[in-house]
Amino acid sequence: MMRDLWPWLALIFRRPGRLVVGGLLILATLLAGMGLLALSGWFITATALTGLLLAAGIQASLNLYVPGGGIRFFAVARTVARYAERVYNHDTVLRLLTDIRVALFQRLCLTARHRRNLLRGPQWLSRLTNDVDALDTLYLRLIAPTALAALVTAMLVLAAWLVYSQHLAIGLAMTLIPAFLVATVLVYLRTRHLVYRQTDARERVRTDVIEHIEGFAELTAAGRTGKHAALCLRQADQIARNDSRADTRTGWNLGLAQVMVNLSVVLALWMGLQLFQQGQISGPVAVLLPVALLGLLEVYSMLPDAFARLGGTLASAARLNRDCSVGQPLEPTARQQPIEDANALELQQITIRFGVHTPVISRFDLKVHTGEWVGIIGSSGAGKSSLADVMAGLEQPASGSVRSHQAPAYLTQQTVLFEDTLKANLQLGKPGVTDAELWRVLELVAMADRFTHEPAQLNTWLGSMGSQLSGGEARRIALARVLLSESPILILDEPFTGVDANTRDTVAAGMKRWLAGKTVIALGHAPEAFPAPDRTIRLN
Amino acid sequence: MADQATARQWLGGLAAHGRPLILATVSAGVVVGVATVAQMAFLAGIVHRGIVGQVPVEQLSLLFTGAVAAIFIRGVAQGFQARFAARCSRKVRSEVRHQLNRCWRATGPVAMGQVSAGILAREWVDHTDALHGYFARFLPQMILAVIVPLLILAVVFSLDWLAGIFLLLSAPLIPLFMALVGMGAEKLNQQHFQTIGRLSGQFLDKVRGLTTLQLFGQTGPAADTLRKRSDDYRRVTMKTLRIAFLSSAVLEFFSSVAIAVVAIYIGFGLLGYISYGPSDDLTLFSGLLVLLLAPEFFQPLRLLSQHYHDRAAAMGAGAEIVERLHGNNGAKRPRPGTHQRQSPDGIVVRDLTLAYDAGRPVLDRVSLDIRKGDVIALTGPSGGGKSSLLYLLAGFMRPDQGTISVLGAAPGEHCFGWLGQSPFLVHGTWADNLRLTTPDATDVAIETALHQVGLRGLVNSRAQGIYSGITEDGQGLSGGQARRLSLARVFVANYDLILLDEPTAGLDSDSEIFILEALHKLALAGKTLIFATHHQALLTLANRTLLVTGGRVHDA
Repeated sequence: MMRDLWPWLALIFRRPGRLVVGGLLILATLLAGMGLLALSGWFITATALTGLLLAAGIQASLNLYVPGGGIRFFAVARTVARYAERVYNHDTVLRLLTDIRVALFQRLCLTARHRRNLLRGPQWLSRLTNDVDALDTLYLRLIAPTALAALVTAMLVLAAWLVYSQHLAIGLAMTLIPAFLVATVLVYLRTRHLVYRQTDARERVRTDVIEHIEGFAELTAAGRTGKHAALCLRQADQIARNDSRADTRTGWNLGLAQVMVNLSVVLALWMGLQLFQQGQISGPVAVLLPVALLGLLEVYSMLPDAFARLGGTLASAARLNRDCSVGQPLEPTARQQPIEDANALELQQITIRFGVHTPVISRFDLKVHTGEWVGIIGSSGAGKSSLADVMAGLEQPASGSVRSHQAPAYLTQQTVLFEDTLKANLQLGKPGVTDAELWRVLELVAMADRFTHEPAQLNTWLGSMGSQLSGGEARRIALARVLLSESPILILDEPFTGVDANTRDTVAAGMKRWLAGKTVIALGHAPEAFPAPDRTIRLN
Repeated sequence: MADQATARQWLGGLAAHGRPLILATVSAGVVVGVATVAQMAFLAGIVHRGIVGQVPVEQLSLLFTGAVAAIFIRGVAQGFQARFAARCSRKVRSEVRHQLNRCWRATGPVAMGQVSAGILAREWVDHTDALHGYFARFLPQMILAVIVPLLILAVVFSLDWLAGIFLLLSAPLIPLFMALVGMGAEKLNQQHFQTIGRLSGQFLDKVRGLTTLQLFGQTGPAADTLRKRSDDYRRVTMKTLRIAFLSSAVLEFFSSVAIAVVAIYIGFGLLGYISYGPSDDLTLFSGLLVLLLAPEFFQPLRLLSQHYHDRAAAMGAGAEIVERLHGNNGAKRPRPGTHQRQSPDGIVVRDLTLAYDAGRPVLDRVSLDIRKGDVIALTGPSGGGKSSLLYLLAGFMRPDQGTISVLGAAPGEHCFGWLGQSPFLVHGTWADNLRLTTPDATDVAIETALHQVGLRGLVNSRAQGIYSGITEDGQGLSGGQARRLSLARVFVANYDLILLDEPTAGLDSDSEIFILEALHKLALAGKTLIFATHHQALLTLANRTLLVTGGRVHDA
């Protein structure tokens, strides 16, 4: 399971400098906190002893400036380090968030399309977001606190060895190492089976609840809403039960880890007092270590929660790895075969089928001459869009071959616009296109007026946060984007969806002029769905 | 802010529901606090007697035992605190889901159909889970953040009132801290979620349009844009965060400075440098104990600030759930008892009136008698009230006036068959789908029912027959097949009354024929069939056609 995390850890560790600086800032915060308490404890003990001597009339003195200054320093350092650590590490988290998203996007680009098609829809997208979020905070939540807890523990054990005694150091190691394991590895081991499948279980409940809602009328009629709801409730309660058990176990482990740290305090006090009474160390120094160890509670208390979530994080990583498994490259191999010079596109014996079902299209032949306009008409479900996907090279046919001189420009049936400016959306069709040309193509699709009135003109923002386009308007922008393409072949799947009849005629006439000399294959449910072709084929 | 207030009120009601567990959580938290004070007292006592009193360690074993006991009690109480908190959250979430289910039933299928299933499911699954942190962490901690500091303050006062005053001075600051922390955390939370939301939006937008980007060969530039936009957002967010983090720095500052001030005061007091106040009575024990308790005084507050985002999350989710729960009060809910006992042999409708807009009734004082075994076609212009009449007969809606008696009972009181326009399939086998409404149906009954609607061939072609999944090979059923499957449920259940809303609308001709045949069989079996339709073949199937238009219903 841990292996699933490696690619993402590698990504996170690509910024070692930032991680180390961020870690050191956290370390400074922790040490300042421990230092403040430990030095204060030392100071109070020292003053108490000196005060007793003075009260007994014995000449005694204590340098107040160094510890007093130290206490003030630690108090300020704690505040400053905490603030700096917060700001710096959140910056790091936001950078990691960018890195992970960009890397994931690049991997998705290489993922086979049919695999991606299985993963469409808002549910997958929201799961993807949650899974990425789980990885974003891996460093700040888990890696840094764990590394620092280990480091601070080691520092304290070493200090015990150097300043106190070997026995004390061994004693501390024997209590603190189990405490560390209880707060980290043990939490993970005891919760992973509870949390690993939680996201999947949640998705299953969601499916059932959606079914419950969609079938609400039928269930109500049959008097079964209560029973079916009870089924959903039981499942949800099972998830809540697993959550609850994981939380409880985490709580017990936290409690146990704190007991062990506290026992190390008691141990340090016991052995420290012995050393003091044997005259090996002074009283204040005997107090120093136990009080510093109390500060370790803060460090350890961060760990169990993070490790309780590790199981879920691993599941997220596994899902992301699975969804983004790099598949076959998209480049169609059939294009290298010879094609007659006069033809722009040749389809030979094309068969398209889904799974083991009857083929939607079988043994389909088509030769399109260069400069020819072909219209393909078929009712919904006749396989038009699948045929268009095959012609454009997006999908491989079950059998047969597709040959063309150049990859065609393709207007998919689905209108896809990006949350970006109008210009950026159009530039996808022809990078580096001039503004004048953009206005010309907008004029052609009868959309120029719409945007000359927008204050930002070509820089108008499209999408949910910007200018709202109707279905027909969005369609025409997508069409304009394909018209800009320099490819000599265009495949247009239902180019005029949602566009009213008058506009359609204007745009169709304009397209004839704009695309003169190019090869166009248009697909639609009826002849008026595309500009008048030279030849019409009906799919049955 | 009105929703915030109602959301808070509703969360309060839920808290009352989980009160015993919240009290248990808080009690465990108080035990942790008391045990902590005891542990510190034992430690300070050991130091005092061991260092000032020079008592050999071995003679302090009683104090050591006390310290270890306090430590164990503290650990155990902490475990119980987590356990009670987790249980409370589970209980509350279950209660919320029950509330939502009750609300859905009260709303009825017609009004439910107005909201997307995805949104309702999100409220039921995700928003309810978003309440977890509030009940498991924030709410108990809010109470503990008052009790535990007061407890510590009392102990410190008894040891040295001046040191107590130092801490107390920060007590009036506590509400101020809380406000600061709250404002900071809230802002931080909002900013964080907004940024994450925008970044996710940009990312998901590109993922959604990936195929288009590939077609234009623009995936590389898109990745660059993604990176650049993310960086821009980061810069803007960091500007706000730098200010938002100041509030937590303030809390840190006050607690650090309080510890430093207490430490220096005690130190000088022990040296005898302070000639006023109670410092003459300070000992190493009381001084060290005050010092050890000072961080514990601030710890509950710090925890509270860590859990503050739980509150924001619960308020957001709660507001949406409350809107759902309260928003449906005005809807036309089905209400039993709007009928008079009539003859159990038919459907009797008297003076039925229903209006969506006041003054323009869809149905205006309609009276109607339908005999058992009738096959009734409701026809008329769309919007004329066919579907509304059907919904009223089904009990999915409540009339404004008038009574309906269906086979001697209120509408919806007896089970009946319903075939709506949207197909309803569950993820599972054919048998699962048919047993959904008739759990005890035999295999034979299921196969017969599938045969009646012409799906037998399709099912038999699957490897496990009725126990094969209906959506194998990633291919679902066509709309017509799905509707036939729904009709098969009616066959299995053997209802006396069957209501159908446009049973043949939008179907392929194969499915249409199967549905017609199946309805014919049901009619021959003596079932009472009522359907809304325009379809000529269905009209001929009926032995009585009712025209529903202009608020009136009369025989056509």
